Amino acid sequence: MNKIILIIAIFTSSISFSQYYTTYDWEANPTIHTINDSDNMESSLAILKRKIIEFRRSETNNNISIFETTHDIIRLNDETGILRHNQVYIPMFGVKKLQEIKARTISKDGTVTNLDEKNIKKIENVEEYGDFQIFAIEGAEIDSEIEILYTVEKDYSPFGTEMLQSNYPIKRVEMVFITNGLSEYIKTYNTDQEFERTYLDNLLVEELSLSNIPKIAEEEYSATDANKIYAAYQCFGNAEITQELLWNNTIGNIAYGLFPKEVQPSILNEIKNHLTTIDSITTDFEKAAIVDNYIKTNFTVIDNRNSQLEEIDYILTNRSSSDIGILKVYAHFLTALEIPYEIVVTSNRYTHRFDPEFFNPGALREFLIYLPKIKQYISPTRIDYRLSEAPANILGNYGVFIDKNIEYYFDKITQSDPDYSRIIRNMDISFIDDFERVKVDESQKYYGHWGVQNRAFMALTSGESKAGFEDYLTGSGIEDKKVISLELENTEMNQLTYNLPYIVNSTIESSTLIQDAGGSYIFEVGKIIGTQSELYQEKKRENPIEMQYPNQYNYSITVAIPEGYSLDGLESLVINKELVIDGIKLCWWHSNYEIKDNQLVITIEESYRVNDFPIEHYEGFRQVINAASDFNKAAILFTEE
Amino acid sequence: MNKLIAILLLITTYSWSQTPINYENEDYYYLNRSHHLKIELVKNQLQIENEVLEKAKYNTGNQLYFANDFIPFDSFTEIDNIKAFTENEGEQIFVDHFEPKDQFGGGVFFSDQQSINFVFPVVGPGAETTLTYTERIKDPHFLGAFRFGTYVPTQNATYTIEVPKGVELGFKEFNLDSLDITFKKIEHKKSTTFTWTAKNIQQYRKNNKSLSILNYIPHVIVYIKSYTVKRKVISVLNDVQDLYSWYVSLVNQIDDDDLTEVYAIADNLTKDISNESKKAKAIFNWVQNNINYVAFEDGLGGFIPRSAGSVCNKKYGDCKDMANLLFVMLNHVDVEAYHTWIGTRDRPYSYFEIPTPIVDNHMITTAIIDGKTVFLDATDSYVPFGMPSSFTQGKEALIGISDKEFKIIKVPIQAKEKSQTFIETEINLNGNLVTAKSSRTMTGYDMVNFIVDAKFKKDDTSHEAYLNTKFAIGNNKTTYSNINFGELSTKNGRYTLQYDLEINNYARTFGSKLILNMNLEKLLSKDIILVENEKFGRSIDHKFVREYKTTLIIPEGYELNYIPKDISNELEDYGFSFSYKKEGNTLILHQKVYINVLALQNKDFEDYNIFIKSLLKAYKKSVRLDKIQ
Repeated sequence: MNKIILIIAIFTSSISFSQYYTTYDWEANPTIHTINDSDNMESSLAILKRKIIEFRRSETNNNISIFETTHDIIRLNDETGILRHNQVYIPMFGVKKLQEIKARTISKDGTVTNLDEKNIKKIENVEEYGDFQIFAIEGAEIDSEIEILYTVEKDYSPFGTEMLQSNYPIKRVEMVFITNGLSEYIKTYNTDQEFERTYLDNLLVEELSLSNIPKIAEEEYSATDANKIYAAYQCFGNAEITQELLWNNTIGNIAYGLFPKEVQPSILNEIKNHLTTIDSITTDFEKAAIVDNYIKTNFTVIDNRNSQLEEIDYILTNRSSSDIGILKVYAHFLTALEIPYEIVVTSNRYTHRFDPEFFNPGALREFLIYLPKIKQYISPTRIDYRLSEAPANILGNYGVFIDKNIEYYFDKITQSDPDYSRIIRNMDISFIDDFERVKVDESQKYYGHWGVQNRAFMALTSGESKAGFEDYLTGSGIEDKKVISLELENTEMNQLTYNLPYIVNSTIESSTLIQDAGGSYIFEVGKIIGTQSELYQEKKRENPIEMQYPNQYNYSITVAIPEGYSLDGLESLVINKELVIDGIKLCWWHSNYEIKDNQLVITIEESYRVNDFPIEHYEGFRQVINAASDFNKAAILFTEE
Repeated sequence: MNKLIAILLLITTYSWSQTPINYENEDYYYLNRSHHLKIELVKNQLQIENEVLEKAKYNTGNQLYFANDFIPFDSFTEIDNIKAFTENEGEQIFVDHFEPKDQFGGGVFFSDQQSINFVFPVVGPGAETTLTYTERIKDPHFLGAFRFGTYVPTQNATYTIEVPKGVELGFKEFNLDSLDITFKKIEHKKSTTFTWTAKNIQQYRKNNKSLSILNYIPHVIVYIKSYTVKRKVISVLNDVQDLYSWYVSLVNQIDDDDLTEVYAIADNLTKDISNESKKAKAIFNWVQNNINYVAFEDGLGGFIPRSAGSVCNKKYGDCKDMANLLFVMLNHVDVEAYHTWIGTRDRPYSYFEIPTPIVDNHMITTAIIDGKTVFLDATDSYVPFGMPSSFTQGKEALIGISDKEFKIIKVPIQAKEKSQTFIETEINLNGNLVTAKSSRTMTGYDMVNFIVDAKFKKDDTSHEAYLNTKFAIGNNKTTYSNINFGELSTKNGRYTLQYDLEINNYARTFGSKLILNMNLEKLLSKDIILVENEKFGRSIDHKFVREYKTTLIIPEGYELNYIPKDISNELEDYGFSFSYKKEGNTLILHQKVYINVLALQNKDFEDYNIFIKSLLKAYKKSVRLDKIQ
């Protein structure tokens, strides 16, 4: 959400100098930089990334402008590096004026190829990103360096962030923050280094210099983007402004229209005409579920430049709304039905860790409605979710909760039911045609997020991806799997019962689960739990562990032993791994077996009680995860007695 | 309309047989889709307008995202008279917000493609949406096509073309046989109308592996052959000669003012070479390595290559820029080379059937080297010199010989033996642990695909995780060490990758028995086609042969108790053979799997599945070793 507008009074005196960028330039005679062997192994790396952000008040009209200078020097070591950097997109969002764009390539032999300005093109209104000016780097080749320098003058906005880490290494980052006496706050994230106050050409500035910033590590179970180094800043014409004042102001703006004193008559009509059963409903859960289902079935949330999409009358007529607009619709319905609610503003935890101590409107992009009496959330813009626990991409982040008195508090967004997400699988296995094929009768119950996601996936996709999902539901990775039957229950997305399981009953047959070794048969029983990937760690783990949500699997696998056969290799079924931190068992895998009545009964419990684990316990976590891939290889030998 | 004197010239009804569509079960479908293409001669100029109507219905709220709609256009078209509304219980609510957007992405750096985006209001069960607009076509070479089917079922589809006397129209029907469709040609006093009316057209959605949907979707492509003004016939696209002449007129606009640097580079690359083929190879490799592919689609500029001098200087260009640079450089060093237009494999059209620009979407260079025709596509940075790019195999190449003369030659489909991978592995056993040393040598498109993939993906993850995902050798406990990528290059015509493997729990020990499946890799094992899910034929990137030589060192203290029987199933289109041979203290498995087609048609699926099942059966066979007592 990018609609949060702050109106902040500005009063300070102005100072007069010319903007710093007017005197800033690149080297007149550039030479190629020397890099070491390990840098040479990278496809590309930044020699320098310099950002100069200058706030300045106009002497003539007292308006504040921002001048942002970008200066990058990038070394290209191979074709991948060239393709990564040879197309440049300059976002024009909020840009009043683009000063000269300069770009050049310095080849290995020192030849300089300058960008021909005629080749700069404009593209407008691209998806949600707005306008761009774009150009391709001229003369880019292996072992060359490209250098880009430009300044944009932007409309005043007191807030900004600057990402300082990328998917390639950066030798040096320099960020200079100039406010020309205006009031400022600046904070760095995911690094211990902070801005230092210093003088640059007689100008008092805040400067941050970082060296040898590694490329971001793409790792499984991690929130890589949220772990990137970045800086957030604020600059005001008014020295009185505090973080608290900013929150107060913003909360007031957001809450406007979201706690109506009087319900719109048209909403009362909707309730009367369409939610006819609501009066007979006694629980808040059911009432709220009816509202959520109704709105999600009848309204579409869209993202375009039509400002009317926030107006309740327009929304009701057109059944189309912006993301803020739909919150208003919910607010009127919930108020009409006297269901207490709070508005929650937060961020996607995979991209941003919410910071209550530093106001950053750019990060406030996710809105939830919290129902404190039943401790459940509505996710107004998520067509895949219905009234439930908070969606996986929010869970665990902090957020600001706003109540009907427009008072607010910060809190962690958690799950009220620790056992919310579970999968229960019962399988009956038999052999057909003298070990030619295996038959698996399976009954599965998916609870919590699993259930919500399965319902949404099956309802909202079609064709190939739906077929792929059916493959997952019947056990992926079985090469010649033949699905004899597949029945799904509780598939309707609009449900009124709390945590109703999504039920899958299936029968499959496969011949590849059995290997023939000259009279003996190996049954690869582990494969029936579906593909399990091994979590590798060749390099030191960089990111703490983030799982989607706490979850648990319980399996009961019954194998009918054909008469006259003996079993070998049962020991491969027994695996026990667990991670205990501070005396609390946080995740585990336990699998075991017993033989009774000519049946082999295997039981498995795999559980993750929390969704985040500290980096120092990565190895313990990895062992539990990999226990599943160990079991995946379990095999039993059947030999005729 | 001159109804009184209209003469019905022709009615054709096609045979059809298809499963009926139950519209009530559809979340969303089209009630009606129609194009009315009207060509007029106004003040001796062609004026072309296409009236578009799309009327759709929602039965449920499951697919409301279809309410987000857009009208695409580019610099050859103008959109006008847009009207869009939703009807709900008799009430019409009009769209009041239309937003133009530039198209972006899809591998194209800069494009003139734009769209007018809007959202239908009040969609939900029972709602019907209507969109009408006029598309003004500014260039008579781009009349386009009408597709009777689309991504959801269509109840009624109508395509009408109204042509004045004096304009000669050409058209070609594709895949209409399966439709309930009627064609009428009516001659009026001053014009002729052609109308196709189709009913109950199923949805067309492609799978990832499918052949191009254009092979299946019923459509008609139209073009203006010529028109007469003041008794003078002006040709537009009467035949391939016309199309070619138009292309020549565009190519002749190349601004080749300063070629000094281009010539200097070409001279320098070939200064010590007298052999024609080696000269061409040096130049081709230079363009492949030094010019970065950056795609532009910019009106007619999209058909006119940029000057070779500027491409050389900027070091980037799109297909036509690279093709023209090769053309200039090769001719400069006396290698006969020509501009060449070609369609990629997803365009199943022939210049002879429809001499229009819809046939092609790509440009390459054809060189005549030692009397042989060689197709050079430098946009594929890794294809070895002498091989065409994989996506142009089997396609017609329109080769421009001179301003007047052209040739059409089919790009040869490359034999399976040109794309081989040979994997040699030596296995040592220690209980359940397999350790192995492997080398993979690749040629042709097998090599190209590996190099491209490795170059762009291997750094995103660890090399080990990369190879594990790429090859799926052994099991999910396979670890790689001593990975040697060598030089990731195709320039020597073959590439070798080496690595060592450790696969835990791969062999199975049960008491004194040790069981090992020597098929560490099971090529095509996941390739069974779910016939009910795949409506269209399958596309195969290239023909190939994969050979394995896997040597098991029999561990000390064990003896071979069971060796699977040799097995083979070698067919014309695909096949395999497995043979085991004991040599001293080793057991050697020779395995060969090949595919010798570029497409599998639906009728071939059952046979193909039988083949894959026979292959899976061969993969199931394990070797058994017993401890010597």
